[in-house]
Amino acid sequence: MNASPLKQLWQKFQRTRIGRSIFRVGLPDSNLERSQVMVSSFLLHLQPAKVNKHSLRASYSFGLGLITLYLFFILIGTGVLLMFYYVPSTERAYESMKDLEFVVSAGQLIRNMHRWAAHLMVLFVVLHLCRVFYTAAYKPPREFNWVLGVALMLMTLGLSFTGYLLPWDQLAYWAITVGTNISGYAPIVGPKLKFLMLGGNVVGQPALIRFYALHVMVLPAVTILMVAVHLWRVRKDGGLSRPDEPGNVVAQVELSHLPTNKTYGLMELARGTTPQVGANPEDEVFSWPHLVFREMLLFMFVVAVLLVLAIGWNAPLEQFANPIHPPNPAKAPWYFLGLQELVAHSAFWGGVGVPTLLVVTLVLLPYVDRQRRGTGRWFARERVLANTIFSICLFVAIVLTIIGSFFRGPNWSWQEPWKKPPVATESH
Amino acid sequence: MANESVRKFYPWFTMLGIVVGCLVVGGYYKDQFREWKDFQRKFIREEVRRAITPQQRARAESTPVQVHQIILPELNRVDRCTTCHLAVDDPTYGGYPQPLAYHPLHEQHPSEKFGCTICHRGQGRATTAAAAHGNVPHWDEPMLPLMYIQASCGKCHQAADNPAAPELARGQQIFEDSGCRGCHKLGGTGGIIGPDLDKVGARRSSEWLKKHFLSPAAVSPGSGMPPQKFSEPELEAITLFMLSQTGEMVPGYYASMKVIASPDEGQRLFQQKGCIGCHSLGGKGGTVGPALDDVGLRRAPDWIVAHFKDPQVVTPGTVMPKFGFTEAEARSLTDFLMHLREQKVALSLPSLMGPVERGREVFRKYGCAGCHGPNAQGGVPNPNAKTAQQIPSLKYVADSYTKDEILKRILNGQHEITSLDASKPAPPLYMPGWRGTIKDAELDDLVAYLFSLKPKGEDLGF
Repeated sequence: MNASPLKQLWQKFQRTRIGRSIFRVGLPDSNLERSQVMVSSFLLHLQPAKVNKHSLRASYSFGLGLITLYLFFILIGTGVLLMFYYVPSTERAYESMKDLEFVVSAGQLIRNMHRWAAHLMVLFVVLHLCRVFYTAAYKPPREFNWVLGVALMLMTLGLSFTGYLLPWDQLAYWAITVGTNISGYAPIVGPKLKFLMLGGNVVGQPALIRFYALHVMVLPAVTILMVAVHLWRVRKDGGLSRPDEPGNVVAQVELSHLPTNKTYGLMELARGTTPQVGANPEDEVFSWPHLVFREMLLFMFVVAVLLVLAIGWNAPLEQFANPIHPPNPAKAPWYFLGLQELVAHSAFWGGVGVPTLLVVTLVLLPYVDRQRRGTGRWFARERVLANTIFSICLFVAIVLTIIGSFFRGPNWSWQEPWKKPPVATESH
Repeated sequence: MANESVRKFYPWFTMLGIVVGCLVVGGYYKDQFREWKDFQRKFIREEVRRAITPQQRARAESTPVQVHQIILPELNRVDRCTTCHLAVDDPTYGGYPQPLAYHPLHEQHPSEKFGCTICHRGQGRATTAAAAHGNVPHWDEPMLPLMYIQASCGKCHQAADNPAAPELARGQQIFEDSGCRGCHKLGGTGGIIGPDLDKVGARRSSEWLKKHFLSPAAVSPGSGMPPQKFSEPELEAITLFMLSQTGEMVPGYYASMKVIASPDEGQRLFQQKGCIGCHSLGGKGGTVGPALDDVGLRRAPDWIVAHFKDPQVVTPGTVMPKFGFTEAEARSLTDFLMHLREQKVALSLPSLMGPVERGREVFRKYGCAGCHGPNAQGGVPNPNAKTAQQIPSLKYVADSYTKDEILKRILNGQHEITSLDASKPAPPLYMPGWRGTIKDAELDDLVAYLFSLKPKGEDLGF
């Protein structure tokens, strides 16, 4: 079979001294090489050499976690570019935005990509959480990875929230004012927490520099670390959850019971579940190309969607932040609007009760839920109760967010979006 | 065969590759297409067309297409207007259509020192016409319509004294005469019934202001401000004056340009420096120096200017001190004295006036006319007030009040105005207390004026 000219050129390069020094294994042609390529390259070795067919089914995972990861990568890339222009000062931040829009090559495009990727990352991290819940993938041995996932969701919200302030326009200023006020409703620690976040009692230069440092340094570093652990654990727990996996029912191997007339590899001594446990060669395919190519295609797809959004819709930039002229209504970022809607009814429940309850419930969930069955299937029949409760909570959260986003007008009064809001008047 | 498993991905890679590639190219073109580039190319073509020598032609042809910006740290502005308006400083482009037109009077206000937005407003950092001219959402400072451009002169130059900004002076005159200060504070002086006007020009558009003057309640529901009966030119002038009140402070270099020589400025200086202490006008004033009524006939303007700068130079041995006037101030004072000769300046130096005349000035200065009418005849509507729904005349205060009583009334005000119909909202206008605002000396004059209002020989029998 004739290889394409491009492939021939590639192979020619690989046979040179430089080519061989970089790529230890060429484009694989045999199953041996397919295994070798996966373990001999740093980036590829993060994945197993072989992967269960079930994990590749798009209708199972929808690639939601991977999409979230890609969005995070894109955010880091575009974020670094934005850092070249952005000055975290109340006087110059807004001007940086204007310069990005008007004179920096592709400045607006990069800012748009960053903005859309940020919104989408919040969305996809939640979708990923829903997928994991509905497929009961948080069950043993993956309990702690679920907890890490919940923590990563909070990190994502933190990243998005801290980034929200940076343009220093009216939208940013008042969203952060409202957002931090929500946290101020917590009893005892609330006001202190708010003061700590803002470096003062109102949003000003100290808040901006804090949010900036958190946004570009602290939170990304911690998130990268946590993502690494999250992914490492996915592999160590045997890849994606699936219906037929043995879970932690596999017998623990006691060292003393092993025959002594044999030398053992590390894998054979390791306790508990490993990627090999329950692996059936019939169900597995080589990661190259089946997993790796799908991942690359998904990345291209995510980039394409982001580019469409970034070219078509500009990131908002309102007036320069004006502490004495609040918009009416002043709204938090969209993902907190459900909470803000609750705050309008009860400051305690919206500001403290519900968010605390939500996080605690999510963290404890894998330890509370003792039902062992249902893992690896969407909406498993055995889990009808759990799924119903989760769905109701999700539905309420979505409805509250939609109400907060679209149905609230001046003074947080009910306002159908298709009706014209009353003309805002300024009294003397 | 294993190769088949690779092959099935090819169409997907091809398709997504093309899509991503197209989007990258599309994004690049969207980013690279900027309307200012077209304007610059047009300008370069024009420059090439005009070139006479080959050198000029070569220079014109090699003009780079790039963003131009004027960075003004003192004004805290970056103006990129000259990215499109490339010939603002080139008089040979006079009469060209925008954006290539020359800016008249560019020499007085060179763009490299002033930029554009300090006078014209708009969004200096923007590089698209719509955004730069401020006709986009979320930009609160659109370009000032050219008919109101004089509103910006007052940022650096003293408003009423600028001969190049007659409309601004007229607007200020109307503002003072109409008694706006009775309710509104401006520059720290004025009443408290209406809002401060210190930054009104930055908050309101000309359309809003005009509507508001004619019918305040229409644009500002619940406003108790009486509708103003301005003629069309008066309306434009006072609107312009309001637009000039942006509260913006210009620093250093720009503020030093404040005084423009004019008779009005001269009169102000004449009054402020206390010239009348030594010199007299119209028989009033000091006798140490000569009377100045006809100084314009006796002396040439150059002599007077030199005299103001240093009296000893032109009149050795004179006792007149050197005041250290600037060139502009000396010229203003000279203009004022020369105008005396022409009898065109109506003198209203307080030190030359009697108490009643001074009181009338006080009445005007604090905007009493806003509610009580220009001649204190009343008649301004105050809906639901017991006094026939309007503010009563002050003509007969001399009959109803002693001096102490009227003083108390002015200083304390009257905040409760009796309603005609208790079920309706209280009358919007009331008398604010003026304690601490009107000075003691002014109060005596004001009372003298009010007491003088009673028509002579009229006795209503009570």
